Amino acid sequence: MNWSQAKAVLEALVFASSEPVSVKELGMIVELNEETVGRLLDELVHEYNDRGRGIQITEVAGGYQFVTKPEHAEYLEKLKKVPRQAPLSQAALETLAIIAYRQPITRAEIETIRGVRVDSSISTLLERGLIEEIGRKEGPGRPILYGSTKGFLKYFGLKDLDELPIVDDWILNQQLPIDLTAD
Amino acid sequence: MQKVEPTMGEHDQYQVNLPVFNGPLDLLLHLIERAEIDIYNIPIVEVTDQFLAYLQTMEFLDLHMAADFLLMAATLMQIKARMLLPRPVVETEVEADEEDDPRFELVERLLEYKKVKEVANKLQDREQEFSKSFPRVGGAFPDLEVAAAAEPVNRVTLWDLVQAFSALLESLIPRVELDGMPEEQYSIQDKMDEIIDGLAQAPKVKFSTLFAGLSSRKAVVTSFLALLELIRMHKVVVEQDRTFGEIVIARWEGKT
Repeated sequence: MNWSQAKAVLEALVFASSEPVSVKELGMIVELNEETVGRLLDELVHEYNDRGRGIQITEVAGGYQFVTKPEHAEYLEKLKKVPRQAPLSQAALETLAIIAYRQPITRAEIETIRGVRVDSSISTLLERGLIEEIGRKEGPGRPILYGSTKGFLKYFGLKDLDELPIVDDWILNQQLPIDLTAD
Repeated sequence: MQKVEPTMGEHDQYQVNLPVFNGPLDLLLHLIERAEIDIYNIPIVEVTDQFLAYLQTMEFLDLHMAADFLLMAATLMQIKARMLLPRPVVETEVEADEEDDPRFELVERLLEYKKVKEVANKLQDREQEFSKSFPRVGGAFPDLEVAAAAEPVNRVTLWDLVQAFSALLESLIPRVELDGMPEEQYSIQDKMDEIIDGLAQAPKVKFSTLFAGLSSRKAVVTSFLALLELIRMHKVVVEQDRTFGEIVIARWEGKT
């Protein structure tokens, strides 16, 4: 298989998959090492970007996928067959932010930070596949621990959790300044 | 996500659950930011009074008063009391100052919550940006009905609305509600139709105009609930061009 053939095969593979495909998986299929696959994909990404096409390839949630170009959004919204999700409410976004940055975390801990009950935002986030139960915390009642999902990365177009936006000193997995067990 | 659902309770009173309220910390932060107060030096007496005033308005509206708000009110009053008490003489002059301030923990929580809000805003920007790129779909996608909780409110927070409403109620106090007058019947549905009809004639209606000419509390409350319901149904948006500016109601131009 020569260079351009390999590129065409990769293009086909990414197109056929509705989920992002990882470089590793692509490499195994086309029997090329990951570095070569990465370079081929880079070329593809640039070709789609440069040539005034309606679609592009993006790297998201640890893989590559085709998406439409954002500048055409207003037309796509008119297409009935395209699934549209309502944006998340402020309350759900706050809960999600806490879970994404502080995972694994229990509901009680989230409630301490937000100062309100979060049952309904948690069930929304679970139903939309943005968070999941990732275990139980040792201790009284063994409360459920929540974490973000791959769907979360896909939803926000993030390659991985390290790509989360940073605000001040509010960074991933930082210790809380207050003792959450106090209450 | 729950929705704002006016339900007929006993004695035909409307009860509204408003999960879009983002909680007592949100309200407190709003009060502090509005007054441009230094978060490290909160004038606890003033803030407590304002907080309680909001609770009263909420109570009057018969909003589902979450225990969270009452807990915060109690916490504020406790801090207030502790600040009024004479402090024990500190034997060693080592720092102690910060930890001794009864406001310390509250400030820490507020700062933490403020960051959560900022991060949530950043996520919202990304959400908006990335929602413009459509992936190919194959197979199942999550239930689209689930997440209809977006608030079509442009730069107007629920607190702004409640505040405007609160001012309105106060302006009503001097008017006498006579007994024995034939009681006018107001339903939320009628009021909603009225607002929509008004917007069909003019693109925008001022918040104050909406309530002009209403003389009873019942009428005002019904109108306000109708407005909240229309916002939830994405029929109208509320806008405000500057802080403390007049709140304006407009037709919802987004996608339905």
